[in-house]
Amino acid sequence: MSLLNIENLSNAIGDKAILKGLSLSINAGEIHAIMGPNGAGKSTLAYTLGGRPGYDVTGGSVEFDGKDLLELEPHERAAAGLFLGFQYPVEIPGVSNLQFLRESLNNQRKARGQEALSGGEFIRLAKEKAGLLSLDMEMLKRPVNVGFSGGEKKRNEMVQMGILDPKLAILDETDSGLDIDALRVVGHGINSIMRKPDKAVLLITHYQRLLDYVQPDFVHVLAAGRIVKSGGPELALELEREGYAHIVEAEGASA
Amino acid sequence: MSALPVPSRRQEDWRYSDIEAVASVWPLPEPTAITVGEGEEAAHLLLQDAADGSVAVHDYVIDVAAGGNCIFHLLNIGGKLGRVTFRVTLGKGAHFGLHGAMIGGGTQTLEIITSVTHAEPDGTSEQVIRSILGEKAVGSYLGRIEVARHAQKTDASQSVKAMLLDRTATANAKPELEIYADDVKCAHGCAVGELDKQALFYMASRGMEPRAAQSLLLRAFVAGVFDGIADEEDRQRFESAALAKLDALAHRGDAGGEGA
Amino acid sequence: MSEEVEIRDAEARAAAARVADYEHGWSSEIEQEFAPKGLSEDTVRFISAKKEEPEWMLEWRLKAYRYWLTMETPDWAKLNIPPIDYQDAYYYAAPKQKDKLQSLDEVDPEILRVYEKLGIPIEEQKVLAGVEGARKVAVDAVFDSVSVATTFRKELEDAGVIFRSISEAIREFPELVKKWLGKVVPMHDNYFAALNCAVFSDGTFVYVPEGVRCPMELSTYFRINAENTGQFERTLIVADKGAYVSYLEGCTAPQRDENQLHAAVVELVTLDDAEIKYSTVQNWYPGDAEGKGGIYNFVTKRALCQGKNSKVSWTQVETGSAITWKYPSCVLNGENSVGEFYSVAVTNNYQQADTGTKMIHNGKGSRSTIISKGISAGRSDNTYRGLVRVAPQAEGVRNFTQCDSLLLGDQCGAHTVPYIEVRNPSATIEHEATTSKISDDQLFYAMQRGLDQESAVALIVNGFAKEVLQQLPMEFAVEAQKLLGISLEGSVG
Repeated sequence: MSLLNIENLSNAIGDKAILKGLSLSINAGEIHAIMGPNGAGKSTLAYTLGGRPGYDVTGGSVEFDGKDLLELEPHERAAAGLFLGFQYPVEIPGVSNLQFLRESLNNQRKARGQEALSGGEFIRLAKEKAGLLSLDMEMLKRPVNVGFSGGEKKRNEMVQMGILDPKLAILDETDSGLDIDALRVVGHGINSIMRKPDKAVLLITHYQRLLDYVQPDFVHVLAAGRIVKSGGPELALELEREGYAHIVEAEGASA
Repeated sequence: MSALPVPSRRQEDWRYSDIEAVASVWPLPEPTAITVGEGEEAAHLLLQDAADGSVAVHDYVIDVAAGGNCIFHLLNIGGKLGRVTFRVTLGKGAHFGLHGAMIGGGTQTLEIITSVTHAEPDGTSEQVIRSILGEKAVGSYLGRIEVARHAQKTDASQSVKAMLLDRTATANAKPELEIYADDVKCAHGCAVGELDKQALFYMASRGMEPRAAQSLLLRAFVAGVFDGIADEEDRQRFESAALAKLDALAHRGDAGGEGA
Repeated sequence: MSEEVEIRDAEARAAAARVADYEHGWSSEIEQEFAPKGLSEDTVRFISAKKEEPEWMLEWRLKAYRYWLTMETPDWAKLNIPPIDYQDAYYYAAPKQKDKLQSLDEVDPEILRVYEKLGIPIEEQKVLAGVEGARKVAVDAVFDSVSVATTFRKELEDAGVIFRSISEAIREFPELVKKWLGKVVPMHDNYFAALNCAVFSDGTFVYVPEGVRCPMELSTYFRINAENTGQFERTLIVADKGAYVSYLEGCTAPQRDENQLHAAVVELVTLDDAEIKYSTVQNWYPGDAEGKGGIYNFVTKRALCQGKNSKVSWTQVETGSAITWKYPSCVLNGENSVGEFYSVAVTNNYQQADTGTKMIHNGKGSRSTIISKGISAGRSDNTYRGLVRVAPQAEGVRNFTQCDSLLLGDQCGAHTVPYIEVRNPSATIEHEATTSKISDDQLFYAMQRGLDQESAVALIVNGFAKEVLQQLPMEFAVEAQKLLGISLEGSVG
């Protein structure tokens, strides 16, 4: 049974239509990558699934883990097990990462009818996940993303993912701004947190390089608001070699 | 206008003023009106260097229509009382820039009073004020920025710095914000201090005379205020007037023996 | 901040999410003994007689009353204040006492229940319940106008600390009171200070002798309980040479339809090397969502840092009252004396707050820090008004001021009115101000992690105010964080 099932999804930001009938199905245990040229609607897809205000759905449906995702508020989607790794993680001055995450996690647990984690349990969990991503525990005591380098922000997103333990992670250009070493650490983090039979990942990326570390089961090409081609890992290599224009033209997509 | 009584210090805009001096020229003439039309650009200058002991009050009412741009350069150094006021209203996307310096000595009272109203969205304003005050001079900047309820995306800044040369001089500042819109960027900074002692020592260690070092630092402090004056001749006129005033201040101790 | 503290912070906020609208909106029924309605010399005499005051005190009050008659009601630009009918209020109300109380057990159970409803922090409840080993917090509870319970008097007395209701202090330590009462805030200082001098009903007196570090935090809970009873508290705290005391003031008020006036006066004095830390959480009834009712909070708070190296630190979290007019100030006379002001003011619905501080630098090397965080929501107006003044003889003064405003919604106002007056060239004065809102990005990010909108707003607002909240003692920090969340409920979305 599919964990995420997107059917014919269309949306608009203001008057501008971005997604135009996108369909995609992801099963538990799978890792999917979406690639595509700038302006194809990759980030829009991520934000729309996250429920960002202003990203109005104009058609289609999204089912997530048996629920109508589009009916849920952003925090309800999070509690249902959807995690969005932001391309540009947001700074929240004065609020420490630990505070932020503990409150988020316990809100999610409460929504799921689970007991809140105690302070000690939470700290142990945070230490473990920070260690996984080689992020200094001290960083987690600092305000959310404030003064973090680009690479630190992205690693912090992965630590958050580890702590919140979602069913589905949608990672929007998590590889951008990372050097080679950081890329390896992040890739390792994604694998150890999310590569499980009951979880799935949707990687949104421009480049093949992250896929060297996180081997996708399926690769899709997004252009002009639709999936124009799907294939296995070899498709990413083909894109890297041939460029998007070639494939997009071949599939006859037009904006 | 003439029916109005002489103001008192109880009135906000007059709280630091020299009321006696004002009374001697009361009633004041009508303010100068400057209207900048839609999309137009305007640049204005005022070099207030009235004679010693005289009273100079300049009031401006400035309206900048949508997309208009008004830049004002001001050097306020003359008179027993030198008071320059601006009441500015900005239309949509309009800009107002005030670049002003006050340099005072003796028993001068120098004032720059501004009230900038961002009445429509997307307006910007920038005020840069530098004051240097010696002897018994009083220099005051009262700057009010008002952002109206629907004037979203307003960006208003005030940068106010004052330098006192003697413990008998006074610097007053009131950089005031009145904000009624939530999506705005308003920041003000204000600093009062003395010349950087470390810089003075550093310069002395390189063999520079204390007075020369001080004068150099003071010049640096006001430098830049007049950079934006387009006309080369005008700019030089402002700069040399400022320098002459600074030199006069720097030599203030020569007669009486009270140095900096 | 330690991990443990972080966690406790988070717990406090989680608790806040569960707290309902205005939880202190009730009125307990305790028999009142009223002064006749209205204000006259007779009222002043009645109060003074009730308090069994010495003649000099009555004279002092009458002088203040006569002076008050000559004063005009102040007219503040920023505040929209309906006229107050001073003859239509009671100036004295005391819970009827059975006899002199010997211990807390004898306190009217109704009053104890009131404290419970108020959510007095657990530690203090334990103290009230007499639990062994409970953290030592002395509570001098002011219920309406009269002190009804004082704990820990013995231990404080052993340390030499005098902690009394001001009426008791006037009777027991007249010389000490006489020496400082009205010296920091003179009776002619302002309209409400004069009124307070004439009719103050009770309050607190603290004296910490030379070299003594007060062995516990002193805490007072103020409550306004009787309908139409103006509350006029008087607090005087003197820290002698080298002494230290931390004083906590917190208040809530029951829900009433008619506006109530509160005009307290707080005077602090620090001598050489002494320090007073004064923390306030003010959560009085702010009026309803339509702006009806609520407390008028016109308070004069001032500290005299008289001694060298003396220090006063004001920390306040102001979330309540319909109208707040309050400028806890420091007169820094002592060489190298230090003044601090940390403030969070939240206004929602139709609340008006005009608050800030005055730092008067008269002493050489005196330093001050001002951190003000204003949060406006609904149709409220929130003003920071402050003065930093440096006298000609005050060499080497430093001040740093940071005023940040956060606007929630586009129907409120945020105002910053800083006055800077410098007459000494060696002063270093820095002032910064910013205005911002909670960005949509921040809100979405926090919600994507699982927080509902109100929790997300509360979290972000607490982050905005953190520099101030971390100045508070732990019990207060927890309460203050709750209050911020509660005060802003329904303000976004």
